Amino acid sequence: MNAEVRPQSIAAQLVVVPLLLVVWEGCVRVLGVSADKLPAPTVILEVIWELRVSLAGAVGTTLLEAVIGLIAGTIFGILSGIVFSRSRIIERMFLPYFVGSQAVPILAFGAIIIMWFGNGIASKAVIAFYLSFFPVAVNTLSGMRSVGQDEIGLLRTFGASSWTILFKLQLPAALPAILTAVRLGASLALIGAIVGEWFGATQGLGAVLLTAMYEYRIDYLWAGIVLTGVTGVVMYGAVSFIQNRIAWWHAEA
Amino acid sequence: MVAKINVKNISKTFAAGSLKVKALEDANLSIKSGEFVTLVGPSGCGKSTLFNILVGLTPPDPGGELHIDGKHQPSDHLLGQVAFMPQRDMLLPWRTVLDNAILAAEIDGVPKRRARERANASIERFGLQGFEAHYPKQLSGGMRQRVALMRTFLFERDLMLLDEPFGALDALTRSLMQRWLLEVWEAERRTVLFITHDIDEAIFLGDRVVVMSARPGHIKFEIEVKLPRPRAPEVVTAPEFIELKRQLLGIVEEESLKAFSAMNRPLLADAKS
Repeated sequence: MNAEVRPQSIAAQLVVVPLLLVVWEGCVRVLGVSADKLPAPTVILEVIWELRVSLAGAVGTTLLEAVIGLIAGTIFGILSGIVFSRSRIIERMFLPYFVGSQAVPILAFGAIIIMWFGNGIASKAVIAFYLSFFPVAVNTLSGMRSVGQDEIGLLRTFGASSWTILFKLQLPAALPAILTAVRLGASLALIGAIVGEWFGATQGLGAVLLTAMYEYRIDYLWAGIVLTGVTGVVMYGAVSFIQNRIAWWHAEA
Repeated sequence: MVAKINVKNISKTFAAGSLKVKALEDANLSIKSGEFVTLVGPSGCGKSTLFNILVGLTPPDPGGELHIDGKHQPSDHLLGQVAFMPQRDMLLPWRTVLDNAILAAEIDGVPKRRARERANASIERFGLQGFEAHYPKQLSGGMRQRVALMRTFLFERDLMLLDEPFGALDALTRSLMQRWLLEVWEAERRTVLFITHDIDEAIFLGDRVVVMSARPGHIKFEIEVKLPRPRAPEVVTAPEFIELKRQLLGIVEEESLKAFSAMNRPLLADAKS
């Protein structure tokens, strides 16, 4: 099975966190680093505790935007990957535009998205979607293409239709690759949600970060950074968990 | 008596650009219902091409004919009619032993629960009891091959094509699997066409051994194996066995030499462009 999920390695990874915090705290105190540059972890935790209600709301908003975008991106990515895998012509017609769409930085047209989809959750979810569908589409396609002609031939001798081959062979075979892309998409969706919030939002982690910057509240800024990091790790971890549950065999393939 | 399968003048030419390679030329073969026929021939003689034609994956050149139970079968009607076991086991890594074994039956439309019940009833015969819930990567090569065979048997067709099922196994496992296959086969007596490289295997298993020529492949020679069944492992030392082997070795070697010298000739010598 996947090396990442062994309990010992998780334990080994978790040991690093308190170690890092202690070193951080120690350095800040001993060297007398000003809180404007780098606040000590205890100071950051204190701020997070103080603002827990509004910060929890911010995390919830951003998480919702990112998850909606990621789910939409995953569904769209898988469907377009399936369509591409079934028709070379459609792939040749549309795949270059998929690639091209990713060459335009979201920063160039984020404002337009806000104008089209409003100042609320929808516009951020759209940006999260935009960043996450592409890796899923590409990996679905390549995962399905990786199935050998011999395997497809064998199923045909059992009398399988092309839909049966899709659902019993190609899609399951592509599942590990698809979920690897969703894991990458989870990180991208979070970036998308936060970037969207920078273009205009009153709620969410992006808004917290932006406000803290304008008001020069370094402690708020660090609280936002820590929570963004935690949110990212949680999303990544959730997808990894699902991957190890439903596509555990990828070590063999 | 009508033959289970009758192959009449089947040819196959593969074209790659202007290069044409004749893989099969007028192959003729008839197999009785319940007969176990083994097919030997040099590498690249078109054995696998013949199999792909018989299962409907490759259309033959126009002119030849295939009959099953006396009925003419166009190539596109063959898919789903013949139980085929390819050289590699091709088990699906995400399916358990039981679910791999029922794959063909499931695709054939047997409800999953019924297919599982049937599989459970015969799992012992395939020596897989206790491994129903295991995944392919947890199995040895011999066990994987038994799962693939079980999948082929549970796809209930009277005609089974087995393409070197034991080719990748070590000698000891191989001879155990041969005896086991005969036991399973003798219980049901389905019609089997079995490809092998191994002349001992061909004689030990078959009612009849058929030899294919070097490319372009056709049936060069066939001989009945009159050894009584069930066959004990010692049968390989019986004088009749040795005599059959001597005959077959001569013919197979002759064809192998032709195939070998053809390899040293430029490939184009065979081709008519």
